[in-house]
Amino acid sequence: MSSATTNEILPRHADLVEERLVRWYFYAALAYLAISMTGGILMALQLIHWNPLNGIEWLSAGRWRMIHTNAVAYGFIANAFLGVLHWSVPRLTLQRVLSQKLSYFIFIAWQAVVLCTAAGIIFGPTLQAQDWVASLTDQLHLPMGLGAQGVEWGETPFWIDPVALLGLALVAANFLTPIARSKGSMYVTLWYFMAAFIWTFLTYAMGNFLPEYSLTGTSAGAVGGLFIHDLVGLFVTPLGWGTMYYIVPIILEKPIWSQGLSLVGFWGLAFFYPLQGIHHFLYTPIPMFLQYGAIISTIAVEFVVATVIINFMGTLWGDGRKVVTNLPVRWFYTGMIFYFITCFQCALQVTLTFQKLIHFTDWVVGHAHLVMFGVFSMWIFGMMTYLFPILLNKPWYSRRLCEWHFWLSAAGVFIMFLDLGLAGVFQGYYWSSLQPWDVSVTGSQPFWITRMFAGLMIAGGFLCFLWNLLRTARGRSTDSPTAVSAPA
Amino acid sequence: MFESKAGIFFIAGIGFFGFAFLSNAVVPILMYKDLPEQTAEEVVNPNILYQFKELSRRYPDSFEAAIGEPTKENCAQALRLGRQVYIGEGCWHCHSQFVRPVSNDSKRFGAVSETWEYQNELQRPVMFGTRRVGPDLSREGGRHGSDWHTVHFFRPKTVSPDSPMPEYPWLFDGAPDQPNRRGLALITYMQWLGSWHSTYPYYEELDALAYE
Amino acid sequence: MNDADQSSPKTPQKRTATSGRLKPAVLVVMSVLILVPSMVGFIMKFLEFIRTFQDSTDGAFAITPMLNYLLASLGFFSLLVWAAANGMFRDIEQPKHQMLANDARLNAERAASLR
Repeated sequence: MSSATTNEILPRHADLVEERLVRWYFYAALAYLAISMTGGILMALQLIHWNPLNGIEWLSAGRWRMIHTNAVAYGFIANAFLGVLHWSVPRLTLQRVLSQKLSYFIFIAWQAVVLCTAAGIIFGPTLQAQDWVASLTDQLHLPMGLGAQGVEWGETPFWIDPVALLGLALVAANFLTPIARSKGSMYVTLWYFMAAFIWTFLTYAMGNFLPEYSLTGTSAGAVGGLFIHDLVGLFVTPLGWGTMYYIVPIILEKPIWSQGLSLVGFWGLAFFYPLQGIHHFLYTPIPMFLQYGAIISTIAVEFVVATVIINFMGTLWGDGRKVVTNLPVRWFYTGMIFYFITCFQCALQVTLTFQKLIHFTDWVVGHAHLVMFGVFSMWIFGMMTYLFPILLNKPWYSRRLCEWHFWLSAAGVFIMFLDLGLAGVFQGYYWSSLQPWDVSVTGSQPFWITRMFAGLMIAGGFLCFLWNLLRTARGRSTDSPTAVSAPA
Repeated sequence: MFESKAGIFFIAGIGFFGFAFLSNAVVPILMYKDLPEQTAEEVVNPNILYQFKELSRRYPDSFEAAIGEPTKENCAQALRLGRQVYIGEGCWHCHSQFVRPVSNDSKRFGAVSETWEYQNELQRPVMFGTRRVGPDLSREGGRHGSDWHTVHFFRPKTVSPDSPMPEYPWLFDGAPDQPNRRGLALITYMQWLGSWHSTYPYYEELDALAYE
Repeated sequence: MNDADQSSPKTPQKRTATSGRLKPAVLVVMSVLILVPSMVGFIMKFLEFIRTFQDSTDGAFAITPMLNYLLASLGFFSLLVWAAANGMFRDIEQPKHQMLANDARLNAERAASLR
């Protein structure tokens, strides 16, 4: 079969990939990342008493904290991965997506969804006291106003949920069609992508409808935990690893070390990852045996993670220098090291012994930043660093700015991770030693100030990237395609 | 089987997700199916009604304009709106609502949380929370007077100099003694938290109040 | 990527050279890491079972869950053997070479169309 496919007439790249759409998705992703960083900096300033905008309703740190997380999850990561999918799925399957018109419709609809979410979060609470909103929520027996919903990462206002869900269904249809039409055995990337489309849809439906409309109290807590976890584990993680399995062999110009081992990684992730949701709510009134179950499957998944890391290290074997010389490879492998750190940390912090101390503290915030920025955003940046020169037919304007982007991002997020982890330990001990609450707040100030500067480093790196991209896009086209395919 | 499209679609995509949902969500749902979900009206108790009436006496003009009479029905409505404000302003991202059996939580905040406390309309979705920049609020009711809350929401640093909490002047009509509808509702919600518990601070006047 | 057109003959050689030594080592380490703890657990449980069996007159009942576990494991093992016998793990590594070859050809075609 392999020889048969190779000798077939290959479809043209231009027929497969709508490059303009990939560019648009990337630009949209970067715009949302800028918004998200603004929200993060606002919250960081608030915590250290430096917020100049304190007391302005539409810039309230409480609301912008939700913009921060939602813009990153649904604005930056979703858009960036959709861009990657529009590039990689047609090239892997050698099939077009279901419909190019549908693709453009999804692009516009998804931006509308994210912007409406932001508008709902910012303006929704202001409208809550209006009589017509009150009577509307009364008539419909809604447990929420027009603003955010009370589920973490699921703040998307209720009136957008059906549209967002429809959007996710269309995304699934658009990409599952070429996968279904593809011939022969599937490459590992497609396993991850295929599962991700189904999981994202199911996860979104679960978290945005069940705890709001039909479940109360502890059961809602269990579903909420499942949702927080699945959103990272079943939407972002499979798309991230799928991307890694696709791009790393291409850049290193050799196949993945073992497709058989990746089978173990995929099925292990698929089985153990969804079982862990409750570990976000340990020591709640959720039954203890369910908490133990979640803890055990969390520790089990670390073995699975080990197989994936071994596979990628096996692929890199013999080409280690490329981590230094090749920028995308460096982004990918740094992100992977951070992934390993996050997962190792997870196996420890999920135990009840650790939870006593670090739950509710900044430790968890550091963990979340390392996984969302240190891992997935880094992979996305690696992907962008690789693809933008190809998409624009121009080499990067400045290799030096690319380096600044990498080092500021990597150092910033790692400092933030260490700083917040340490802050978490301090906070945990302040609380359990029964000191007045204010002691834990004043004691956190040095860590929060450090965190803000770490955040500014990340933002600085991002500005380098934006400036570099702007200059690259305005720069002169190159004639030789080889220069294009050797990024930076 | 493990590399086929159907295998990945049905076993991994739907099967494993369903299995996890069954074991992580359906189990607690079945375990608590006999605990009925109380409405906001049903959770209005003498403690919160006392606080509600106290609010109406303390800020009579604002209360009259925003809420009207301090009846049980209006109290339930205020609790609903107060909870929406609590969610909309992102309070739940810095304050938790469950007391753990560890880390001296019960010494600081009060009795360890139990499932029945959350089985009501005002915990849909549940406000467990995942972060404590500020303290846990599930036993907050009655700990501070409503006048403390108004000043604290208007400008937290006035009563708590080290607090990094944002200011919420839009819950007031210009001054801390003029809370608007959202402000009054949020304070009612604050005073409700833990009002069902025996640890709720005791007021002498309470005995005189008939519980309609 | 520059030598995209002739990438296919290069890759298999590289693979045998590097991963030939690495793979068995990783296999051994992983097997030890997974098998030793699970064997320890199993043996502990088995000894517990023997003790229960010897101590009490009703000890024979303890054999029931044991049989259940063994039968279930046997079922899964048969499934695995059946899957392997039906060729479900045959040529599992093929798609990764195919993917690289396709990508290289698409790149070459794209480059040619730009020129």
